[in-house]
Amino acid sequence: MEKAEYNYDIVRSFVNWSILWGLVAVLVGVLIAFQLVNPDLNFAPFLTYGRLRPLHTNAGIFGWGIGTFFALFYYMVQRLCRRPLWSDGLAKFQLWFFNATIIAAAVTLLLGYNSSKEYHELEWPVDIMVVILWVIFSVNITMTIVKRKEEPMYISLWYMLATLVGVAVLYLVNAAAVPVSLFKSYSAFAGTNDANVQWWFGHNAVAMVLTTPPLAVFYYFLPKSTGVPIYSHRLSIIAFWSLIFMYLWTGAHHLLWTPVPDWIQTLAMAFSVMLIAPSWGSVFNGYLSMKGQWHQMRDNYLVKFLILGITFYGLQTLQGPSQAVRSFSAFIHYSEWVPGHVHMGAMGWVSLVLFAAIYYLVPKIYDRKLYSIGLANLHFWLVLIGQLINSLSMWVAGLQQASMWHSLNPDGSLTYTFMETLAEIYPYWFVRALSGIIYLAGVVVFIYNLYMTVRRGKEVPVAAAQTT
Amino acid sequence: MIWEKNPVLLLVLATCAILVGTIITMVLPFAWVNTEADSIASVKPYTPLELEGRDVYIREGCNNCHTQTVRPLVADVLRYGDYSKSGEFVYDRPFLWGSRRTGPDLARLGGKYPDEWHYKHMQDPAGFVPGSNMPAYAFLSGKTVDPEYTRKKMAALNFPYTEDQITGLAGKTEMDAIIAYMQKLGSDIPWREAVAAEIVGELVNPYAGVDHATMEAWEHLYKENCAACHGEHFEGGIGPELDGASLEENDLFEIIYNGVPENGMPPYSSLGADKVWKIVNFVKYYNIGEDHQ
Amino acid sequence: MKSASILYLGVTFGLFAVFAVIVFRTYSRKRKEKLEEPKQRMLEDD
Repeated sequence: MEKAEYNYDIVRSFVNWSILWGLVAVLVGVLIAFQLVNPDLNFAPFLTYGRLRPLHTNAGIFGWGIGTFFALFYYMVQRLCRRPLWSDGLAKFQLWFFNATIIAAAVTLLLGYNSSKEYHELEWPVDIMVVILWVIFSVNITMTIVKRKEEPMYISLWYMLATLVGVAVLYLVNAAAVPVSLFKSYSAFAGTNDANVQWWFGHNAVAMVLTTPPLAVFYYFLPKSTGVPIYSHRLSIIAFWSLIFMYLWTGAHHLLWTPVPDWIQTLAMAFSVMLIAPSWGSVFNGYLSMKGQWHQMRDNYLVKFLILGITFYGLQTLQGPSQAVRSFSAFIHYSEWVPGHVHMGAMGWVSLVLFAAIYYLVPKIYDRKLYSIGLANLHFWLVLIGQLINSLSMWVAGLQQASMWHSLNPDGSLTYTFMETLAEIYPYWFVRALSGIIYLAGVVVFIYNLYMTVRRGKEVPVAAAQTT
Repeated sequence: MIWEKNPVLLLVLATCAILVGTIITMVLPFAWVNTEADSIASVKPYTPLELEGRDVYIREGCNNCHTQTVRPLVADVLRYGDYSKSGEFVYDRPFLWGSRRTGPDLARLGGKYPDEWHYKHMQDPAGFVPGSNMPAYAFLSGKTVDPEYTRKKMAALNFPYTEDQITGLAGKTEMDAIIAYMQKLGSDIPWREAVAAEIVGELVNPYAGVDHATMEAWEHLYKENCAACHGEHFEGGIGPELDGASLEENDLFEIIYNGVPENGMPPYSSLGADKVWKIVNFVKYYNIGEDHQ
Repeated sequence: MKSASILYLGVTFGLFAVFAVIVFRTYSRKRKEKLEEPKQRMLEDD
């Protein structure tokens, strides 16, 4: 193979920028976590919780998540297709445009220009930037695959292709709006319809941004890290079709007990439970790939990140369906339990897998040995503990909050006023904010380790950079 | 080997796979939702001032902490009011149901408190409601509404408006707007009359003759629920000064339990009879001193 | 049975049939080698 042809420049750049946006997401997360404890930390109108929370989620999902996927997709697609990118020029433009979009997003969100739709807050001009970005990316990836030199398509490519089309459909439909000015638009859908469209988008953004891309990454980087193939390519194919088919039915589990028609809620609930099968198909595929290789959990720090990552995916896809059941939703929905769930997925599953992939990549794209495996291990434990404290504190908080909200006196009246329930949550919120600092420390160690790798790491020939 | 080696075909098939659930659960419902079947005649579009307020609500991201949909669950209905109906949201572009209740649900907020309560609350929520973690929105009072921009918005949404409503916006602040919006929330259907709690049986004060020390333990109930309007020491404010002697126990109970909506006094039936009786005793006897028996 | 119910049932069975076809196709013995090949080949390139 003529490896020199592979475009690593673009991979390096996307890795660097996405880590920067990831750091922003965590920093803002820590700030808003403390704002819930102490409202005096809402320093100015543009730094209030209501404006910062969308910045936190957008920086996390689009800056860190999508940015890293851009890097990893560009790395994987070249390797799996055994050819350079279809267009280096487009990729370079995409990098520039990606950062312009993220900056535009950050500035407009802080100024209060938002559509109010969760995980789709950006106003229409920035929406258009996102669409352009995605089209460029999709064309480049698809064309590289179409013109590939390797005939069989590995499962990661399947997940990549599904991601391209899935995000496109979701984003375009949910973005439909009537502009009034450059900074303001009104949704094309009204009320209950708007809610149903939004959560069809919202939950499938979880599918197409936070599930299929990290699965593509996982299926590639686990065998690459362990040196043994995945357990079953055919199982991954069945899981693939089932996953992308079932996910789209489940959006309304965010709308249980709302005015959305009951039958949509029921379908959403049923499909959410059915989704356990394809989700765990991938989890089992990961675990079974470790047969005879479990010692690598000790010897290979990459495997530790990946296997913990897929484990959190497994837990996430059990907890998620349980929340999608009407009776449990009635109890737990709108409480702090849900942020606990989301953060297990974001900080556990997605981020752990991305950390592993970046650790695997950096030595290859910089021709350097990783600066310190000890620091990588420290990073692992900090983010793991930070995430566990975060999720656990929010689950317990949510249980207590929900119990108090629903508690009734013998005469049928409410036991607690809203303020009485709120007062009980402060200690949990404080613990959660501290967990954010632990996670932040982990991310700082990660960045330091990468920085030192690039600056000081020992040069090694590409072939030897394989980390085991 | 068909789609396994053909990326374009794979793309097409993947699109088909995601379109099945999409069409059934997202596209088809348009045939049933927001049609004649679920429409409610008394639900009206937003006025120019209310619309501006709604846009401030969106700009400040209030939906990140407040939901706007009451579920048909006992605790939800007791705490917030009648459960939400689809027809109440036909003018909501976008919908603002939210996903988390860091603060309380606001779907039935309209008419619950007098305007003055909201002005004071928005100015400094944490100071006004002890223990609140809501940020202060005092800055909204310093920003005025642009009537011509509002006109454009009303036109874009196809909402009816009069020239007087537009000219009337001159000099209005964003605070005026968001409070007008909050006062409309959930009040287009006459739900308050429908769900007013009935007092069952004869009223008997279960705490008759209670001593001063016991009442002191109930002070927090007064502070959390009453002091904002009636003052820390019954001196009044948004609501009238409280003179325990002037009202009978049972009348006081009925006022607190069912409220006096026309005077801006919200009902506190959701606290339950026991807590309301504690407040009755506290209000009526606490400041008289220990010798009220 | 109402015609709508028959339609729903038809769609449901149709979807199950599609799923069954995918499973049988994927797991048929003659495709085993072809379909498991990519997982070996992806390890070769380094």
